[in-house]
Amino acid sequence: MTFTEKYAAEIEGIMARFPHKKSAVLPLMHLAQHYYGYMSREAMEEVAAILDLDPTHILSLAGFYTLYYEEPVGTYVLEICNDLACALRGADEFVEMACDKLGVGVDGTTEDGLFTIKTVMCLAACDRAPMLQCNLKFEENLDEEKFEQLIARLRDEAANGRTPPTVVEKVAAYAKSTS
Amino acid sequence: MNDDLVKLTIDGIEVDVPKGTLVVDAAKKIHVDIPVFCYHPKLEPVGMCRMCLVEIGLPMRDRGTGELLLDDDGSPKLNFGRGLQTGCTVRVSEGMVVRTTTEPVKEVREDVISFLLSSHPLDCPICDKGGECPLQNLTMEYGPGVSQMDYSLKMHNEKQVPLGDLIYLDRERCIQCARCIRFQEEIVDDPVIQFHNRGRALEIVTMSEPGFDSYWSGNTTDICPVGALTSSDFRFGARPWELTPVPSLSPHSPAGANIVMSTRREAKSGGRSVIKRIVPRQNEWVNEIWISDRDRFVHHFADAPDRLQKPLIRKNGELTEVSWDEALDLVAEKLQAHSTAVAGLSGDRLSNEDLYAFQHLFRRGLGSNNLDLANRRLAGGDVTAQVGLASGSNLQDLGAGDAILVVASDLHEEEPIWWLRVKQASERGATLVVLNLRPTRLDKYADYVFRYAPGEAIVTVRQLVNAAKVETDTAVDQLTAAADTLIKANNLVAFYGYEGLTYTETDTLAKLLANLLLLKNEDKAHAGQINSGLIPVWPHNNSQGAWDMGIHPALAAGYQPVEASGMDAATIYEAVHNGGLKALYVMGADPVGDGRMPNRGQLDFLVVQELFLTETAKLADVVLPAQSWAEREGTFTSGERRVQRYYQAISPLGECRPDWQIAAQIGERLDMGKPAFAASLLFRDLAKVVPQYKGMDYRSLAKVAEQWPLVGGDDVYYGGTSYKNEAGLGQQWAAAAETDEVGLFEVADGDTAVTTNLPLVRIAALYTPGTLINHTPMLADRLAAPTLHLYADDAQIIGLQDGGETVIQVNGRSLSVQVCVNGHAPAGLALLSGVPWFPGMAEFEIL
Ligand code: SF4
Ligand code: FES
Ligand code: FES
Repeated sequence: MTFTEKYAAEIEGIMARFPHKKSAVLPLMHLAQHYYGYMSREAMEEVAAILDLDPTHILSLAGFYTLYYEEPVGTYVLEICNDLACALRGADEFVEMACDKLGVGVDGTTEDGLFTIKTVMCLAACDRAPMLQCNLKFEENLDEEKFEQLIARLRDEAANGRTPPTVVEKVAAYAKSTS
Repeated sequence: MNDDLVKLTIDGIEVDVPKGTLVVDAAKKIHVDIPVFCYHPKLEPVGMCRMCLVEIGLPMRDRGTGELLLDDDGSPKLNFGRGLQTGCTVRVSEGMVVRTTTEPVKEVREDVISFLLSSHPLDCPICDKGGECPLQNLTMEYGPGVSQMDYSLKMHNEKQVPLGDLIYLDRERCIQCARCIRFQEEIVDDPVIQFHNRGRALEIVTMSEPGFDSYWSGNTTDICPVGALTSSDFRFGARPWELTPVPSLSPHSPAGANIVMSTRREAKSGGRSVIKRIVPRQNEWVNEIWISDRDRFVHHFADAPDRLQKPLIRKNGELTEVSWDEALDLVAEKLQAHSTAVAGLSGDRLSNEDLYAFQHLFRRGLGSNNLDLANRRLAGGDVTAQVGLASGSNLQDLGAGDAILVVASDLHEEEPIWWLRVKQASERGATLVVLNLRPTRLDKYADYVFRYAPGEAIVTVRQLVNAAKVETDTAVDQLTAAADTLIKANNLVAFYGYEGLTYTETDTLAKLLANLLLLKNEDKAHAGQINSGLIPVWPHNNSQGAWDMGIHPALAAGYQPVEASGMDAATIYEAVHNGGLKALYVMGADPVGDGRMPNRGQLDFLVVQELFLTETAKLADVVLPAQSWAEREGTFTSGERRVQRYYQAISPLGECRPDWQIAAQIGERLDMGKPAFAASLLFRDLAKVVPQYKGMDYRSLAKVAEQWPLVGGDDVYYGGTSYKNEAGLGQQWAAAAETDEVGLFEVADGDTAVTTNLPLVRIAALYTPGTLINHTPMLADRLAAPTLHLYADDAQIIGLQDGGETVIQVNGRSLSVQVCVNGHAPAGLALLSGVPWFPGMAEFEIL
């Protein structure tokens, strides 16, 4: 089954909310991402076909917004802000440290599939930098020790099967709820 | 004072410009250059790069009274606001004062340049754009002079990213102006490239298959203000300053696209000059500053290694190199010996001079009217001579209140330039009516789309024309509504083609449309009126010229009827087969390769004049090597009947001669007198014989006028590598209806009956394989493979599946085709693309 078939009702609902088809693109991308786990080529092509757009347009949006993932991501997506204000409070060093700890680079995913590290633009918590959002939840005023604690907690959670909804699930749920 | 004009002052110079003009354009008109990167006069302004910042002052008014506030010296007080403004987004207003050379302006220009250069590679010495690069030029003029780059902060990005096989992206050089993206979106509606990511990580991407899938992609390399986009044809090929720009015409474009061939002499070509690239030449009446990728890239045939270079005569069964004299003597002797059973077939790619000389040889030298195009597809040259698009027309002037009708043609595949001009007219508000057998890319912009069933083209057009004859206030159906709009339009342009039609049907079609143009609405007919008239979508660049020059069994040069008609092409092929003809002279055509003539039949003598050893040439007794268009000068006439000149770009290959000269040298041996000295003199002669060309000569064709936007020269900012037209805009010859009363045409009835359940129609594809295009290696992957398009139900009935391959038998030939079931084909009709043309509807069988 394709995403278009599976979510036929939701797609229709979302499209009905906008006067122009094209405007439905972001919520549809969230749904497609949910179905495929990330913005795969098929996901982009399907959304493009539904809205009569060129797939390149979808790729462009996926590249512009940080909540669309062009590669599969881990259970926890750690999005660290390294925009100007955070950078002034040591975000760049923090990113480096985090990467070292997890043994991955920026945009990399740990081998166990648990963590992905990404850098993002301002999340509006500049005064509490270094900060990150983990599956959309803010973790603020971080340092090496707090980061280690966070990772330990998440590992524990995962080991006990208590993983929270993924980012992809959360944004898709939001897209659906407004349809 | 004209209400539509606004007076403003730029750097102390007063200027009147139309309301709504942007400050940058107003300045450009008085040759004040405000530097720009993202702005382009053919695109909507976006104000992205900030290079065009200037000081803009507006006259101050008293808030209470609205009176102008005056300084002590009586001049209006000005308010310059708090900062600089982008000249590319601000529109002029009365009394505005613009300053472009003040200290703050200079400073900000230096800052913008420094910013752009902060991560720009300094590889100008190997960059294709170096020498004609706006960034380089503006850096020299406004930049900081010393490098401010902190190398440790430089972003290193990929430098050779293929966006497809035609266009390469250098990510480091891109200054993110979005001109390329906006061109693809706004101008040609192929939004297949976009920005990806942001900030310094931003790059141009494409997801299309093949990459950067657009017939217009090359234009982005012209308007890219840096060397970020380059073509695989030109990249690393030469430095711009080594190139000689030679004005020319596309040898493929029936709309008459103006081009420049950039040439260079090269040691590796034995000191010969070679074509390094083709770029557009501005002609706002024809192609503006754009050309299709076909017109840009399909030129390699001119210097292909397998070009014929010496005359050949068949000796002991083998084609053997001989001298020109030997070859010409033999041809003259044989043609004369067989002069009662001789015929000539020509192609319609050749110049007016060639075609004129060819028919002159036949009519004067051999006394024969057995003369035709080898592959005649579309009738109506004679009709166009009466009611064609009037001289002085410019499709760019069509807009609200006007109407365009397109019948039996897929303009996007047949002539992208006309497609673009029609699309743009519709966007300006012209009503577009499209009648076809199947959906085409023009439908999207059409106000009315009519789909006729196979075999019902003529019936449908007749209904439309009849409906236009009747005054209606309330239209009973769509067709009547469309007819009403057409007849009431201020201007009416009708394009017609030949898809799915026989030659006779196209003749009927032309006449029906002529009658539509001749219909009077409130005592006024469209025919003869500027910006109205008929345009045949000719298959080749000079099909129009072939009509004008008299390559026709019944019409001599200038449409003069002959006393006794000769054989037409079909009769000629028949006579070759059954012995009715003894000698045949084929110029610039390949009837054997095109499947029109299976073999040389009972011919005693076959002479072929060509660029390559074609299938027909292989069977010939004499093969005469001709120069390509790039090696000599000449004229082509477009479907809008614009006669235009092209110039010699490269030196002749081997012993090749111009086609007209060869024909004239044969004529010389038949006592027709000395050949003309030059193409220009031959043109002068033919202009005396062809009344429509009266008064034209190479000088009048070379006349130019100022065009907007100003491009070329220092103006690489605006035109990019589109060249200024300094070599001629050409001249449109007047259709009869412009001066005389033209009567309605008699129209035969009906269509040819359809005799099969699932008729097969050949459809056009821009990159249909052929002798010329096959020599363009970079288009190899884009050539249209022979494809059978079927409607899903039909495919099921005959048991074929999407993506499959099969062999079909059509017109006595078997052909392997790919099967495509994707909705191109309507129910009850099969379409075939990527193959040589055949007329009308064929039957086919699956083998
Ligand atoms: S590739 Fe060229 S035209 Fe396109 S955005 Fe970059 S600099 Fe501008
Ligand atoms: S700059 Fe990081 S949250 Fe604002
Ligand atoms: S902002 Fe005006 S040219 Fe770019």
